[in-house]
Amino acid sequence: MAEGLASEHARIGELVGDQPAEWDLAGELPEGLLRKLGAEGILCAQVPAVFGGLGARSQDNGELTAYTGSLCSSLRSIMTSQGIAAWTIQRFGDREQRRRYLAELTSGQLAAVAFSEPEAGSDLSAMRTLIRPAGDSIVIDGQKVWTTGARYADLLVVLGRYGDGAAAVVVPAEAPGVRVEPVTDPMGCRAAGHSHVRLDGVRLPASHVLGGGGQALSLLFTTALSYGRMSVAWGCVGIVRACLSAAASHAKRREQSGKPLAQHQLVARHLSELLIAEQVSTRVCEHASRCWDAGSADMVTAAVLAKHVSAGHAARSAATTVQVLASAGATDGHVAARAYRDAKLMEIIEGSSEICQLLLAEQALATVP
Amino acid sequence: MTTEQTFGFAPASTDAITDALVSFLTQRLKTEVAPDQELFKSGLVSSMFAMELVVHLEASYDIAIIGPELKLDNFRTIRAMTSLVERLREVEGLGAEGTGEDG
Repeated sequence: MAEGLASEHARIGELVGDQPAEWDLAGELPEGLLRKLGAEGILCAQVPAVFGGLGARSQDNGELTAYTGSLCSSLRSIMTSQGIAAWTIQRFGDREQRRRYLAELTSGQLAAVAFSEPEAGSDLSAMRTLIRPAGDSIVIDGQKVWTTGARYADLLVVLGRYGDGAAAVVVPAEAPGVRVEPVTDPMGCRAAGHSHVRLDGVRLPASHVLGGGGQALSLLFTTALSYGRMSVAWGCVGIVRACLSAAASHAKRREQSGKPLAQHQLVARHLSELLIAEQVSTRVCEHASRCWDAGSADMVTAAVLAKHVSAGHAARSAATTVQVLASAGATDGHVAARAYRDAKLMEIIEGSSEICQLLLAEQALATVP
Repeated sequence: MTTEQTFGFAPASTDAITDALVSFLTQRLKTEVAPDQELFKSGLVSSMFAMELVVHLEASYDIAIIGPELKLDNFRTIRAMTSLVERLREVEGLGAEGTGEDG
């Protein structure tokens, strides 16, 4: 476990307690808790201290993210969204924007990042949301889908087309023309506040456009997604850890045919696979975090690798855990049932497994003449 | 931000930065890349590589490329990136604003 952020681990443990099952069943997180964690800088722990953040390394924030993910993937998803928003602002915002928005994001304001559109999922280059300059203002028109955390957000970081390039705009959720409609009954991360967002003629001062806009769309979304991939990857490590712990405890205590489940060899194999999954996904995430903390260009690929490997392990580990716990884990709200639904979505978001494989294949080709 | 200042200290040679970028891109993209060649319009640069390029420049030249400096115009060609590097090195070297808050 990480030595860093020890008090933040304790704080999350104390505030979350045994509530994740209820949150899953209700499909909602208590907003007060999100604001409390936000105000303590915990939702985006890598924001540098000079902006009011905890200034955590990727490695330490990763362990904090895994811990949160082991308790509740909905809450971890909120952490991912807030972290992507902060990272995007830190990277693309000008001095004034970084000061202003990062202070807000570390003092209780909640943010979500709007990427996907009805026609632009895996292919984000097909984005249609349009950001038009209009004097000292800009006007945004578009439609975003499955924006994680948008239901709770005060600020939406919206990516869209801008001139012959792209831009990211910080949009107050209550600005005229913004409509946030929660996704009804999402299959997993049920309390993460996934929402569809409509932007109809949303007019804002041009100062809301990060860095004045005009970035390459590809650079914008890859930069934002890279943080998201790290966060999802570590969150999946948490899912695997929760699964390992639930399956091992159950297999140790529950007896069938006169002996503990763990002594039935086919069950023992499941336990070994869970341990392997926990180790492999932890190591691949640690590697990616080391690249991130070192500012190495390898971080881009390492983040894709970590996300792909950990999400796959999380999905398989969750299925294995439901199998080992059987009826004991087969009710909604149970850690095994939540892991099963939540982990499947992790193979889809922040670059589906197939998109990750394509990116990794490109990397494989780049290594040969 | 300054754009037209002359160097107040020993500059890294423009040619050296350009040459290093030509060889980095040629090696990574497995194709000859000329200093004035459009990198984004041609589809030569993938979304992954665009970010790698930014991080590579930051690590190689000890600069922070953030905010308005991340505009596409600064990355369209190797020459554009060379002048971006020179400009930011100058800013960092002079200890001007924009440094020290991203660690």
